[in-house]
Amino acid sequence: MELNLSEALRYLGAPGEPDPALLAQLSAMSDKLTRSVTPRYIWRVFPLSFRGEGPTLEGAGLTLPGGMAARMLEECSQAVLLACTLGAGFEALLRAEQARNMARAAMLDACGSVWAEAGCDQAEGKISARFPELYRTDRFSPGYGDLPLALQKDICALLDASRRLGVQVTDSFLLNPSKTVTAVIGLSERPQPARIRGCGFCNLRENCQYRKGGKTCGA
Amino acid sequence: MELDFLYNGLVILDGAMGTVLQQRGLPPGGKPELLNFTNPGLLRSIYREYIEAGSQILCANTFGANALKLAGTGYTVDQVVSAAVAVAKEAAAGTDMKVSLDLGPLGELLEPLGTLSFERAYGYFKEVAVAGEKAGADLVSIETMTDLYEAKAALLAVKENTSLPVLVTMSFEQSGRTFTGCTIPSMARTLEGLGADAVGLNCSLGPDLLAPLLKELCENTRLPVIAKPNAGLPDPATGKYGMGPEEFVSALLPCLEAGVTIFGGCCGTSPDYIRALSKALEGKMPAPRTYRSTGFVCSAMTPCFLGEVRVIGERVNPTGKKRLQQALLEQDLDYVLDLAVQQEDAGADILDVNVGHPGVDEAVLLPQAVKKIQSTVALPLQLDSTNPAALEAALRVYNGKAAVNSVNGKRAVLDRILPIVKKYGASVVGLCLDENGIPQTAEGRVAIARRILDAALGYGIPAEDVWIDCLTLTVSAQQEQAAETLKAVRMVREELGLQVVLGVSNISFGLPNRAAVTRSFLTQALSAGLTLPILNPNQREIMDAVAAFRALSGEDAGCRDYIARFANAAPAQTAPAANPALTLEDAIARGLEGDAGRLAREALQNQDELSLVEQRLIPALDKVGADYEAGRAFLPQLLSAAQAAQAVFEAVKSSIAEKGGAPVKKGKFVIATVKGDIHDIGKNIVRTVIENYGYDAVDLGRDVPPEAVLDAVKAQDIKLVGLSALMTTTLPAMEDTIRLLHTLEHPPVIWVGGAVVTPDFAAQMGADYYARDARQSAEIARKVLGS
Repeated sequence: MELNLSEALRYLGAPGEPDPALLAQLSAMSDKLTRSVTPRYIWRVFPLSFRGEGPTLEGAGLTLPGGMAARMLEECSQAVLLACTLGAGFEALLRAEQARNMARAAMLDACGSVWAEAGCDQAEGKISARFPELYRTDRFSPGYGDLPLALQKDICALLDASRRLGVQVTDSFLLNPSKTVTAVIGLSERPQPARIRGCGFCNLRENCQYRKGGKTCGA
Repeated sequence: MELDFLYNGLVILDGAMGTVLQQRGLPPGGKPELLNFTNPGLLRSIYREYIEAGSQILCANTFGANALKLAGTGYTVDQVVSAAVAVAKEAAAGTDMKVSLDLGPLGELLEPLGTLSFERAYGYFKEVAVAGEKAGADLVSIETMTDLYEAKAALLAVKENTSLPVLVTMSFEQSGRTFTGCTIPSMARTLEGLGADAVGLNCSLGPDLLAPLLKELCENTRLPVIAKPNAGLPDPATGKYGMGPEEFVSALLPCLEAGVTIFGGCCGTSPDYIRALSKALEGKMPAPRTYRSTGFVCSAMTPCFLGEVRVIGERVNPTGKKRLQQALLEQDLDYVLDLAVQQEDAGADILDVNVGHPGVDEAVLLPQAVKKIQSTVALPLQLDSTNPAALEAALRVYNGKAAVNSVNGKRAVLDRILPIVKKYGASVVGLCLDENGIPQTAEGRVAIARRILDAALGYGIPAEDVWIDCLTLTVSAQQEQAAETLKAVRMVREELGLQVVLGVSNISFGLPNRAAVTRSFLTQALSAGLTLPILNPNQREIMDAVAAFRALSGEDAGCRDYIARFANAAPAQTAPAANPALTLEDAIARGLEGDAGRLAREALQNQDELSLVEQRLIPALDKVGADYEAGRAFLPQLLSAAQAAQAVFEAVKSSIAEKGGAPVKKGKFVIATVKGDIHDIGKNIVRTVIENYGYDAVDLGRDVPPEAVLDAVKAQDIKLVGLSALMTTTLPAMEDTIRLLHTLEHPPVIWVGGAVVTPDFAAQMGADYYARDARQSAEIARKVLGS
């Protein structure tokens, strides 16, 4: 697993050709992070049914509301719930870095976001190996499009994420530890197009310097 | 209570409840505690199966029966606990089965990871424990803990509010740590010290993977050890656990050989597994145990075994340090944390923490300092105070096994402090002095050491937790005492076998070139048997001497640490001398923290503090700020400059404190992440940048209720408040906070920012300003507070 530094630079609002000194520091933070923290993930497969309000995870009694989930999963027979976290270890590292140097802490924070996504990619690899005959949809998360943030509670309860990953969901639907991602992935017999593109599906959508400046990063 | 069987012979617990219920139709994610009301018959039938399978203790169905997890169910803790215990007791009627109250994690993360305080966690556990004893539970099982701090809150709550025996099990990953980084020795020795009756591991892994961890646990405790593994790991595709009963039991038997005596099952197990276990254990005897008896202190994450040299950092002590005295009077715990961080980086193993100073309420400040340091620094702490209330308050909130500095040979002192040391399972430093002062001979000091040891043993404190300070006297004043001290060190080590502490720096007081004398004395004392030198780890040459000693004594196998220490130092020695052309302004712009601090100290030789800030620091920051706005510099560069500016401010503050002058005060602002928001690096970035223009932050932290912001504004007459919100779900809390502040006759100026906040939201909510980033926030502060 590798940490994509250009992605981390994008998170820091410093795209394009970076200053060599900045890149060296970022690379050092990335090494420190990847040496000490390994993303952990759990996933579980549920059969899907399509009665009523939207795609429903059988045996879990959970219906995914909204147009996006319906569109994403329309050709799928099963859905995977996934949770991936950098855990409390990352939080401790981040607190330690904040007490020493805020610039390095900001870089570590950006690297952490990228590293958690890398963990999700690795989990997808495992899922794909387990179901070689099936095609996967893009993974999508509560808060993307019209998929409600409130689903964090249900997804984490179904995965037993508290016991198995040490992840908690707060009353305002924040995940703690902070570098935690939950996602839904559809499994289909038919090839699935890439549907996810643009700011609405970006993890930075709520804190993007480009969007705040009325621009996009073009990624 | 006839629970002697816990300590003699083998004991069989029950297996899983949650996963068995799921097999019988409870949907995943459901609340099993409600079945105590809706389907007690199902629970009773499962219990009966466990009884028939050979269980001797049943866990009541109360794993999640705390007020946090029951919120919204319509049931109180008392109702659920009494129903659950009653169901288990009904099933056990007519047998000699014991029923255990089951305490699982609260479902909210404790500080520093979450926002739940230790004291509130204690309160929730207390409520369940009291209800459990009232309902007739025979004992308590604290289970599936991954945070040692939460386990401690639960254990204290049970011990202080009930008379029930208590078993504690935690969940570990294959790495040998819990999710929060707790190690096996930290867990075992902390919980034993706090008075658990048995400790063990449950959940997370199958018996095959838990076996090596259980072996380590058996070596680190004298208590009976519990194993409650899962039935292997769950298959993500089906949710089924991988091990059948036979495989489970055969993987569990090596744990018996390692010394485990109490067995049960966790997720994925069932009455079939317990039946197979009972059969396999029939006629078996407990294996002999080998406890590793050793001096030990720890935080949750850092175990520290004693015997070899362990350096205790002495810097968090206000004696003779004006800057720290000022920080303590202002309750500036960030400064205390800085001192701790520096010593951790310098290689200290343990940190002494002393906040005693006239005008400081130690009973309030010491526990706060402990929490603050432990939020960031992983080293074990030595709590340094003579005030029993302060020590008790600090030991209570300490996460791990601490040391207490100190007692001495005076009976009254021993009787005041040792019961507290015992209750919290701490180690204790005994000073070799008594009512008659410091004995002038080594023999006299050793006699006091012996008395201290006897008193500790009398209170049930094991010898391994007693450390003796033979006392360093100043060689320039009492020259012959240096030899007596060294002799006492040797005698305490050889005759009593105890850990030896010495504050070594004191030896050289009043002499020129103190480091040479200190270093020489340190080396001699280490040779005589000193294991715990208290010193300033920031003095490189002193730490070099420790490194050299460890290489010569063989503690540093292959001289690896010694070589690494100087391999890293080599480039610094060959680096060119500081660039003479570098200006303070350049150092700030380029984020060169060390150079900026040095240049500031030089500049302060012929420039006053205020003009240094106004004429040089702030223009330099402005230039970086302008580059940032123009897109020529990015966030890391802005923050590096802020970091360098902080070094300049530290030089300014020290200079003023040394002169005894009034600190520079340019105005205070309150900053907070609103209620419901727990991630706060954005807020911390903003704070750092504003502080470097010389304004003082009153940082209320994260998840801050509106009332707390109002209180802070009123109490400190605050003119400017910054609020941060990260999620759409917490914007209403921001709005509530603004509304509440606007009820003041003279409301402060409010600026808002954070991930989801936009200029439009800000205006709608009635904020005075919106800030896109840290730079804009700093501009607002300057406009409102003046420069």
